Amino acid sequence: MALQHTSLHHLLTPLLSSFRNVPLASTAFKMATTTAKRSFSSTPSLSRREKGPQKDQRIQLIRYHMQHPRTPRPLKLSRMRALRHWTIHRAWMLARRKRAENEENELQRMYQSMHSAMEELRNLDLPGKKDSGRLYRIALEKKGIFGHGGVPIEYARAQTDTPAKEPWNHGWTR
Amino acid sequence: MSSPQFSIGTKLNRQKGSTRVCSDCISKSSTSSLHPYTNTTRRNYAVATTAIKTTNGNAFDVKVRSAPPVTGTLEPSHYTTKAGILLSRPPLLTRNLDPFEKAFFFYQKRLNERLAIPFTRYFYFKKDTPADADWKLKARERNWAAARDLGGYQAYGKEGWNDEVLVGDRTAEPGFAIKKLIEDSMVRAVEGKDGQAVEVKPGEVAEGQEEVVKPKDRKTKSDKKNRREKLDRKLDRTLYLVVKRKGNGRGWELPCGELVGRENLHQAAERILVQSAGLNMNTWIVGHVPIGHHIQKPHYNPDSSLLRQGSKTFFMKGRIMAGQADLTANQFGLTDFNWLTREEIEEEFHPKLYKSVHNMLAER
Repeated sequence: MALQHTSLHHLLTPLLSSFRNVPLASTAFKMATTTAKRSFSSTPSLSRREKGPQKDQRIQLIRYHMQHPRTPRPLKLSRMRALRHWTIHRAWMLARRKRAENEENELQRMYQSMHSAMEELRNLDLPGKKDSGRLYRIALEKKGIFGHGGVPIEYARAQTDTPAKEPWNHGWTR
Repeated sequence: MSSPQFSIGTKLNRQKGSTRVCSDCISKSSTSSLHPYTNTTRRNYAVATTAIKTTNGNAFDVKVRSAPPVTGTLEPSHYTTKAGILLSRPPLLTRNLDPFEKAFFFYQKRLNERLAIPFTRYFYFKKDTPADADWKLKARERNWAAARDLGGYQAYGKEGWNDEVLVGDRTAEPGFAIKKLIEDSMVRAVEGKDGQAVEVKPGEVAEGQEEVVKPKDRKTKSDKKNRREKLDRKLDRTLYLVVKRKGNGRGWELPCGELVGRENLHQAAERILVQSAGLNMNTWIVGHVPIGHHIQKPHYNPDSSLLRQGSKTFFMKGRIMAGQADLTANQFGLTDFNWLTREEIEEEFHPKLYKSVHNMLAER
């Protein structure tokens, strides 16, 4: 293949053959003036790389930091230590489940309370009377509860770990 | 927020279609609605046994409750309908962690130290700068560990295996972590002559020291003095408004009152709240659906005539966002108010009232 390559060399156009002689350190304006020394493309970033000023050390620093020699490996725990870890994990799972179940039960109780209140409301009046069940029907209406002004913004006060300087504004007036 | 409509005596505008009946109720008729399993007519309301009149003469399930007997429209009802309000201040702080949780979080933080790339000082601090000197000063005091709240644990050192603390160690407390973080925020090295780092003397405050805002205690003054009428007490719990009525033998209750005119429940609740506890509270009634109810049975004479009406109170859920209750102009003869947690309500309320009310109350 090399022989073929060298035999074809003289068939290359003069322009292409002149590229082989372009020195690496030649600048753009030199290329523009001389026909023999021209770069492959006129875009500076795509042109052959020059030595340039000293590289930014920050990039080197980032690379070294990412390729830290003490990259952590999976933990190796002794038998008793592993047992303690397993126990702690089981205990945490249990505690989490207990908390979730309590929340579930709380919601269930609240719902049941609402449901029985609504049942009582439904059976307030006797069925034959005029307007019986009026309060029940009005209670079930959903007009405007999510519309503009449905929920006040002060309701969205988030919980914090520590209280504010004035935790509650007792002196609020309308 | 719109002001509550509590003008008594004015007719409320009856909008067309405000008393709607759902299509299920319209399509249902008593003869065609048969119970799917027993194939008997299903009645959902209480009737007295003597008043049964059927079209097909079948015996069917009848629920005879201790509800009022069937009466005509002329006789007054044995129960009045009342609206009550459960006004709650939601918790303002996150929940308290129990000891297992605190210990577990500390354990996880130390495990994380073992599984994360060790701290590289050169990446964050340039050599011979005041910041670098400051960091070295502080790190020397915590065994050259990067983490400030782990009690000087070095995951990549000789003692890396020793990541468990012993029983009774106070390092796991969140208060300890906060204390250490605040100590660490004090600047201990500044730029002196010729750009050299100079240590700040122990008593002095450095020039570039920013003001460190220390977090407040989770227990406020009202907690310490147990001021039950204050709303900044027990910030990690829900507080509920309870009132005391005039009269001997009356205990603590939730504010309630009778419905006036053609009010509905949430309108009545707003009116009752303002009439009981004043206007200077930023409150909101959550929806139109009652969250609980309490029934007081009527009292009868020996000859079964009505002596005193019973009542059916339907409680509405309300939230308070600012302000305080004020009983000076109240129209229900209330003498005192308190903001109590769930456990305190259990102590103070009559057992029957608590039984009706306790399912509405939140755990926290």
